[in-house]
Amino acid sequence: MITVKDLKFGYAGGGFRLSVPEFKLDSRERLAIVGPSGSGKTTLLNLVAGILTPKSGDIDVDGTKVSDLSDAERRRFRATHMGFVFQDFALLDYLPARQNILYPYRITPALKLDSAARDRAQALADACGIGDKMDRHPSALSQGEQQRVAICRALVTQPKLILSDEATGNLDPDSKARILDLLFEQAAEAGAAVLAVTHDHELLPRFERVLDFAQFREGAAA
Amino acid sequence: MKRFALGMAVAVLAATTGLAQDRPQIATVNYPLQYFAEQLAGDAADVLFPVPEDVDPSFWRPTISDISTIQGADLILLNGAGFATWIDRVSLPRSRVVNTSVAIEDQFIVTKSITHSHGDGGEHSHEGLAAYTWLDPTLASAQAEAVATAIAGKGLVPVEDVAERLIALQADLAALDARTAEALADVGDVAIIATHPRYQYLARRYDLNITSLEWEAGAMPSDAELAELADEAAQTGATVLIWEDTPPDAGFDAVTDLGLRNVVFSPLATANGDADFIASFDAYVTALSDALQAQPGN
Amino acid sequence: MNALFLAFAYLRYHWARSSVLVAVAALILFVPAATQILLSTSERALVARGDATPLLLGSRGSQLDLTMSALYFSDERPDPVPMAEVETVWDSNLGVPIPVHTAFSSSGFRIVGTTLDYFDFRGLSPVDGRGLSILGDAVIGSEVAESLGKGVGDTLVSAPENLFDLDGVYPLEMPIVGVLPQTNTPDDSAIFVDIKTAWVIQGIGHGHEDVVTAAEVASGTAAIANAAVVQYQRITPDNIDSFHFHGSQDGFPATAVIVVPNDTRSATILKGRYLDSEGPTQLIEPAGVIQGLVDRIFRIKSLLDAVTAIIAIAAFAAIGLAVFLSYRLRAREVATAVKLGARKGMVLRLLAAETVTLLSISAGIAALGAIIVSQNAEAWVGWLLSLGS
Repeated sequence: MITVKDLKFGYAGGGFRLSVPEFKLDSRERLAIVGPSGSGKTTLLNLVAGILTPKSGDIDVDGTKVSDLSDAERRRFRATHMGFVFQDFALLDYLPARQNILYPYRITPALKLDSAARDRAQALADACGIGDKMDRHPSALSQGEQQRVAICRALVTQPKLILSDEATGNLDPDSKARILDLLFEQAAEAGAAVLAVTHDHELLPRFERVLDFAQFREGAAA
Repeated sequence: MKRFALGMAVAVLAATTGLAQDRPQIATVNYPLQYFAEQLAGDAADVLFPVPEDVDPSFWRPTISDISTIQGADLILLNGAGFATWIDRVSLPRSRVVNTSVAIEDQFIVTKSITHSHGDGGEHSHEGLAAYTWLDPTLASAQAEAVATAIAGKGLVPVEDVAERLIALQADLAALDARTAEALADVGDVAIIATHPRYQYLARRYDLNITSLEWEAGAMPSDAELAELADEAAQTGATVLIWEDTPPDAGFDAVTDLGLRNVVFSPLATANGDADFIASFDAYVTALSDALQAQPGN
Repeated sequence: MNALFLAFAYLRYHWARSSVLVAVAALILFVPAATQILLSTSERALVARGDATPLLLGSRGSQLDLTMSALYFSDERPDPVPMAEVETVWDSNLGVPIPVHTAFSSSGFRIVGTTLDYFDFRGLSPVDGRGLSILGDAVIGSEVAESLGKGVGDTLVSAPENLFDLDGVYPLEMPIVGVLPQTNTPDDSAIFVDIKTAWVIQGIGHGHEDVVTAAEVASGTAAIANAAVVQYQRITPDNIDSFHFHGSQDGFPATAVIVVPNDTRSATILKGRYLDSEGPTQLIEPAGVIQGLVDRIFRIKSLLDAVTAIIAIAAFAAIGLAVFLSYRLRAREVATAVKLGARKGMVLRLLAAETVTLLSISAGIAALGAIIVSQNAEAWVGWLLSLGS
């Protein structure tokens, strides 16, 4: 699913630099990235997503060289091929759950909001146990429910890759496991791979593979 | 066929009515003005005199529908000189109202005044004016001229037509004046009593000595009124009583018994049967003249 | 459409903030529009009334007072002009003089004493009942009828006043005999009576109870009244014959005299006759006076426009700031959108959609208001113009 080779990245202001000689994620694989703060875990996610562009090296996602795409193409590719789950859920307070789930369709012409998408949103919500709360605004949902909405949003576009950035970081320990299981379950159902950044070491056993990121950080490794 | 004839009849009727309504309307407040307007307008206008025959036009009180008819007229001819007090209490369109005696105001006869007071105010007086101006044919002639000016001024009748008719009418009135003057020439000092104060202008024009009572027109005088007449006759030496309107025969007899001669001289505020203004005036003058001439000592 | 959907959802969710913004923007758009509509309608109504009244004769003094009292039946009380002036115009044969007597009021509406010529001149005929016929009759304008809830068969009582310091000026009860159609002119707020009725209210004409009958007056018989004469407050068929007027009608007062000249030449001749600035009377052209007033109003309006413009700038700056701040608050949403692959310019689109939505709703409300104002402008202006009376 993801193949990264000789990736080098540095912020324009200097200081932080990331170097990943090789990194792979298979289809349907569930990979956890761990590492100390500032080791560049999120930067890797952003590079894979095409939000950041590498200084050099190749990033290949599902057969597409993301690093070679233009900005507009990367946005398009991101919208159609990836799902994002954030630590802060990043739901829009002014939209009810249903519209939050369908939000990706509202912000890019690359996705077309049709009845299939709406049905999918409802089916995902049902599967996540929030099917009866679709008309509630985020403020009327619990933290767990909010993250379920976020998971539905990440999956509704049927991506082959879910990028999870501390998806469970804000949840209580009980919820963490349940949400992660749910994410895995839904991703498995959709046939998507999961690339998750996490600090929760107790959750690591649930992943197929764990990658400690400390090794990739230049300077830190040195 | 029958239906068609009926239809035609209706159509003709409608057309005639329509025509009749299209003619200008001239409303008048007394018979002399009606007569003058008719003479001067000819067939060009309808002349209305809405006061019923048995009502004295001086005291007539028009109904709302009468008022509406008068308000709707193209020209409303007033006599002025205080004649017809209803005009003070009725709304009239000033632009269509013409007072026919404006030009002769300086010749008005002022009657006794009425004094009264009300509220906290002091006493105040009402000046009375003798209203029967047309009994002096020269004043009538001036009023006729005012009528002619008004009719022509409103464009109801072509100016030349009115002017022509006015000449004829004024000639008639001048002739009437001459005949009256002649008929009453020699009766100067003979005292006359009238049942109502109506004859001030006649008296002034022809130098007649007339005193007046306040009898109800055409009614049988009461005993008190007859006694008043006897007193007045004794004081003035009058031997002729002018009746404003014909009383019951008993009235004539009662007056004859008092040694007075009866003469009926309607002031002509309303028409005298079918006779026109000039003919009526002539007839009354003849009757008066005859009564006066018949006086012993004349 | 998606940007509009989101914008609308956002505005709806933050309805209080949106309402305030919409209200402010709507007001800023509506106020100048409404002012403009009302002012131009006022101008039209004022100028139309002025244009419809060719000449006005009155006592020398403020031309504006004369015009306002004779055309708009306002509270101004110019010195009365004697009826002899009316006769003078009649005698000139140069035009039709129509006296108006506006010194009295009833239930807050002006009593306008005039002659029937006024109704012909203004083209007024009752929609209900009949015109003035008998002394005491009143014909009311549509606004009077509506606001007092009165119609034919009801009565009005003149407000007690003692303007001319006359003794025994008692209120007069007047039967309403007709109601005029709505004209959106000051005529709607007037109670029309014959000018003779106005003189009765003023005490110049009056009746006596069983003291003097018209028959006696006409026949010239003296009748001495006792001092305690009852003054009628109501003209009835029983007492109408006792109503009479003291003195010569030439001395009776009118507030002003509308003069309708026969033609331009007559107008010129008439105006020439009243040029003498020492004379007691003046003949004015109300249209000119009104134009002066309108010009003054519009000078004030331009000031108002400037104030409105400044307020509008301030208000839109505030709205802009509010929108900008809301975008600062929504930076996180923007970041999320970018991560989710939002198209380029998405932020601008959202901003535009939101602004457009806000302004459209505001403009819609303002336009609705403006339509309501313009549809009712004539009636409201009529009411505004009659406020002074």
